[in-house]
Amino acid sequence: MYEYILRRLGFGLMTMLGVSVIVFLLMRVLPGDPLVAIFGMEGFTKLTAEDRAHYMAELGLSDPLVVQYLKWMGDVVTGELGRSFFRDESVADMIVRRGPLSVEIGVLSVVISWILGLPVGIISALRPNTVADTGARIMSILFLAIPGFWLGILIVLALLFNFGYKAPLTGVPFWEDPWANLQIVIGPALVLGVGQAAYIARMARSSLLEVIREDYVRTARAKGVIERLVVNRHALPNALLPVITLSGVLMGLVLGGSIPIEQAFGVPGLGRAMITAVIERDVMVMQNLVFLYSFVFVLVNVLVDVTYAWFDPRIHYQ
Amino acid sequence: MQAYSSSPPTSSVPGDDVVLSRQARIWRGLRTFVRRNPLSAFWGVVATAILIMAIVAPLIAPHDPLKANFRRMSKPPDAQNYFGTDQIGRDNLSRVIYGSRSSLLVAIAAVLLGTTTGSLWGLASGYIGGRFDIFSQRVIEVLQSFPDLILAMAISMALGTGTWTVIVAIAITRIPFGGRVVRAVALSLKEIAYVEAARGIGASTLRIMALHILPQCVASYLILATTHLGVAIVIESALGFLGVGIPPPTPTWGNLLADSLNSGLVPPWWLVFFPGLAITITVLAFNLFGDGVRDTLDPRLRGTR
Repeated sequence: MYEYILRRLGFGLMTMLGVSVIVFLLMRVLPGDPLVAIFGMEGFTKLTAEDRAHYMAELGLSDPLVVQYLKWMGDVVTGELGRSFFRDESVADMIVRRGPLSVEIGVLSVVISWILGLPVGIISALRPNTVADTGARIMSILFLAIPGFWLGILIVLALLFNFGYKAPLTGVPFWEDPWANLQIVIGPALVLGVGQAAYIARMARSSLLEVIREDYVRTARAKGVIERLVVNRHALPNALLPVITLSGVLMGLVLGGSIPIEQAFGVPGLGRAMITAVIERDVMVMQNLVFLYSFVFVLVNVLVDVTYAWFDPRIHYQ
Repeated sequence: MQAYSSSPPTSSVPGDDVVLSRQARIWRGLRTFVRRNPLSAFWGVVATAILIMAIVAPLIAPHDPLKANFRRMSKPPDAQNYFGTDQIGRDNLSRVIYGSRSSLLVAIAAVLLGTTTGSLWGLASGYIGGRFDIFSQRVIEVLQSFPDLILAMAISMALGTGTWTVIVAIAITRIPFGGRVVRAVALSLKEIAYVEAARGIGASTLRIMALHILPQCVASYLILATTHLGVAIVIESALGFLGVGIPPPTPTWGNLLADSLNSGLVPPWWLVFFPGLAITITVLAFNLFGDGVRDTLDPRLRGTR
């Protein structure tokens, strides 16, 4: 078991190395000179050759690629993460300042997706082809198709028109003003959560339908175990395993989807920082944020795999 | 390479009962599809209608999507402009209709490019195996470690904005899926008697892959291509919404949503509602049509519903 965990972690580490190489190379094939992006075309032409060399060196862009890459990896390990080209703020500070909001949204959305999706999926599976089941399936098909950020703008607009309500614009940590913080976070989390809940409900339904036809469930029923216990104690634990895995896969949807949703709700989180970085062509910020998001994605999936191994006694990982 | 297989030939000749012409088979396939999945067939028709709308956009759009009309700025939907107008008086309905062109073009081109590349790669890595396979698996794993939208954002930032950039960016996020699914098919076919027979009579690796493995992968390929169209549309619109998609003034559904947010302090509801509705209906149509295609083509699912 521990060996399996270690090996899974090792694989995760290797994947992250590959991710870092791809991110690094992508951010170095950018067309055009980064100095043009910083100073503008006019400012750039006014710079002397020495100035240019000086700024490039200051940004750490004049070293050979391998050196730049190794330096960056060193930065990642020590948590330094470089500086923004445009703002007087290190990327690490930016993550510390903006990150908590995004993390809150992500975690809350996963919780919401389970609270919403699981009961719906279970009810669907226990009463297949009834009105409730059909309704649940139509809802999940619909929410699979609705883009979250669009739903987000619509919600913001509806609140504004009908109640004249607008969520606070500046981010507040939860421990300082829980109410203001919750007003910012709940909208995006709900939209993201509903999107995932649709997948979760669908998976829970099909997985439970499969398990409930198994012999051991029939045996439990034949012994006279009451239906509630058959479902809760016998069927659900096995049916939930694929749902846990799916939740890990859906993390990609949470991380990626949160970016336009933060934009739609005007949440000052990390996603907004990433959009700004792309538009301003702020290489250092983008490089580190892409790496960070992928890191979280990989880490969550490693954790999911380990949980899976933990919960599933049928599998002995060698 | 093994010269002879030790296992006796067990498979019978497929389709030896009735020999049908190609056309008849296609028709029979279509009929089965409609009978088994009437809902999917309906949404397939919707998807086709949207495609046709995109192709003949200049004929059905009531106004020029780029022409400003300063007499009618920010008007809500009425008899003259069914979907209202934006802040410089451009007709929203025409913009939504024209928007389908770029959105669909990008989605279809990206899915074709990404799925084809991924499938061919998966086919080669599954059949050839060895170090090439291990290496490919690692690369695909790395590609899948990026959230789709973030990878697409990074690629379009790296390549600069433009229609082709967006297509390539979305296509790259689709490669791992093709790679995985088709590789599994190729792996399962590798040891089957008829492939071993082909190897036995000395067919080259390329020939076996092209003539014996590839035809068996077509079903998986079609399933992948149809089921990923919806995702591609969503990614395209998200990129447009974030301002890293196809550059304005080209109307795409994502760009329209981005424009609506920039059209004043409070965006008018019709500028937000209609483009998003178009995205939702299109994604819905592609998703449900894709489900039907999967039900029909995937032999593992046959008879389960």
